[in-house]
Amino acid sequence: MKNYYFSTKKMCVGYDGKPLIKDMEIQLPRGEILTLIGPNGAGKSTVLKSIAGQLRLLGGKVYLEGNNLSEMKAGELAKKMSVVFTEKLRAEMKSCRDVVATGRYPYTGWFGVLSKEDERIVDEVMELTHITDLGGQEFERISDGQRQRVMLARAICQEPEIVVLDEPTSYLDIRYKLEFLSILQEMREKKGLTVIMSLHELELAKIVSDKILCLRGEYAERFGTPEEIFKADFMEQLFGMNESSFPGNPKLLAYIRQMMEWR
Amino acid sequence: MQENKKNRYMTVFLLLGICTAVFVILNICIGSVRITLPDMIKIFTGSGDDETLKRILLDIRFPRAAAVLILGGALSLAGYLLQTFFNNPIAGPFVLGISSGAKMVVALIMVFLLGRAIRVTSGAMILGAFIGAMLSMGFVLLLSNRVSSMSMLVVSGVMIGYICSAITELVVTFADDADIVNLHNWSRGSFSGMTWENVKVMAVVVFMTFLAVFLMSKPLDAYRLGDAYARNAGVNLRLLRVCIVIFSSILSACIVAFAGPISFVGIAAPHLVKRLLHTAEPIWMIPSCFLGGSVFCLFCDLLARTMLAPTELSISTVTAIFGAPVVLWVVAKR
Repeated sequence: MKNYYFSTKKMCVGYDGKPLIKDMEIQLPRGEILTLIGPNGAGKSTVLKSIAGQLRLLGGKVYLEGNNLSEMKAGELAKKMSVVFTEKLRAEMKSCRDVVATGRYPYTGWFGVLSKEDERIVDEVMELTHITDLGGQEFERISDGQRQRVMLARAICQEPEIVVLDEPTSYLDIRYKLEFLSILQEMREKKGLTVIMSLHELELAKIVSDKILCLRGEYAERFGTPEEIFKADFMEQLFGMNESSFPGNPKLLAYIRQMMEWR
Repeated sequence: MQENKKNRYMTVFLLLGICTAVFVILNICIGSVRITLPDMIKIFTGSGDDETLKRILLDIRFPRAAAVLILGGALSLAGYLLQTFFNNPIAGPFVLGISSGAKMVVALIMVFLLGRAIRVTSGAMILGAFIGAMLSMGFVLLLSNRVSSMSMLVVSGVMIGYICSAITELVVTFADDADIVNLHNWSRGSFSGMTWENVKVMAVVVFMTFLAVFLMSKPLDAYRLGDAYARNAGVNLRLLRVCIVIFSSILSACIVAFAGPISFVGIAAPHLVKRLLHTAEPIWMIPSCFLGGSVFCLFCDLLARTMLAPTELSISTVTAIFGAPVVLWVVAKR
């Protein structure tokens, strides 16, 4: 356990006391990217929320550098972990730059006034995430895709050691999807950022991830490197899909075949 | 750009400050007995020799203006807190039935104690009003867990308000004649009959609460991002929620105890101030919103006293005329 930056032990997650996924064992060294994949409703968001301390665990423990996450002070955790969730961030009358600057919250003083150093970090992060142009625009008035990029900037601005992202690429076009993931990889290389996220795009998950966690049903189905996970029987196993799915639609079938071969 | 913003905030703040001062002077000078500015200055510097004017100014007009300033600000701040808490731009102590709950308990206490010829102190009134406010707030909170839509929450609040008002009316109907005059005026909302004693108590309560709220401006700012992001910023959400509920209830209770329920200021004033500032950041909103409420109420009280003089209008009549259109505007804009 001590060798890993992030780990869970017999973690059990769910809502209202009803467990959805039980006995999850995850081990992740510092600076690795873990991607959660699985069909809709498999519990990806639930797992991510539990990991980020937003949902109470129904059992087991989550460790960050060997420290029990639930025993950490909220302010301390805020300096180590940041999040990008699908839940909308409300930003009444805030510009995009203001939103990015909220990432400095754990570092500012009693009244939350930004120091020169904070301002510098905000500008730097906006540069890094290519959203400097958006700075003056109102956050509520930009597109979902742009918003997603501002949210990533906000998360990075928090200078975390680990970032938890729930379907961060969903509103992005293909160019920004790749840009988004390349920023994460850059942060990992430069600062040793650890990433836990969920993705729907399996082809991207395969390329960017160090570890993959497949979710389906009551237990986490598989955990391992992309090579171990993406095998021939994978689609059938995880999504319940095979060549007899969608009879009468040759185009869809051809697409599935192609995906299977690719694996 | 940052400098521009700061300048704007300071300008608005200064403007509101000047408006407050001007309206305080107007409220002192204008009335059935007109007091000129030189007269006023004379009395304040102690060289005035007209005893009647002096009594009118020092014992009636000045404490009343001070009370309007304090309670108007408190009302606006309570509205702002509730709007933040429920993430609902038309939440306010009156709309959510919190004022009515406070009114009900105060009416019960007054009838019960006055009927036994026991004098009711300011402190007891505030405490009673606070209990009433918390009762209503409790109901609203219970309902807010069940109804997710913001319009339904407001409807629930209005219903709670009606129930409490009905009970108050019932109590007033069965009260002795002598009590009724007192109760009736007060239960419609009025700033008349404020004494320095009242002003002292409300100043202490409101100032302390204001300070506490101002010290919470950083977590309040994070709270406005939404639960998940506030928690991620390291905010203790449960503690913050408890604080908002208690402080907004204290403010609402203080207003009701002294002036009765007053409508619409809690929604209109914060909204207008927000438009002026072009920001909703608590650190600027909290003080500006307080001043905005003061100005709004000073203006409305001036009209209430003078429009149909010597008859005095109930303050809610005037605040509704100017406040309700603002609320409609907010609703239409969404």
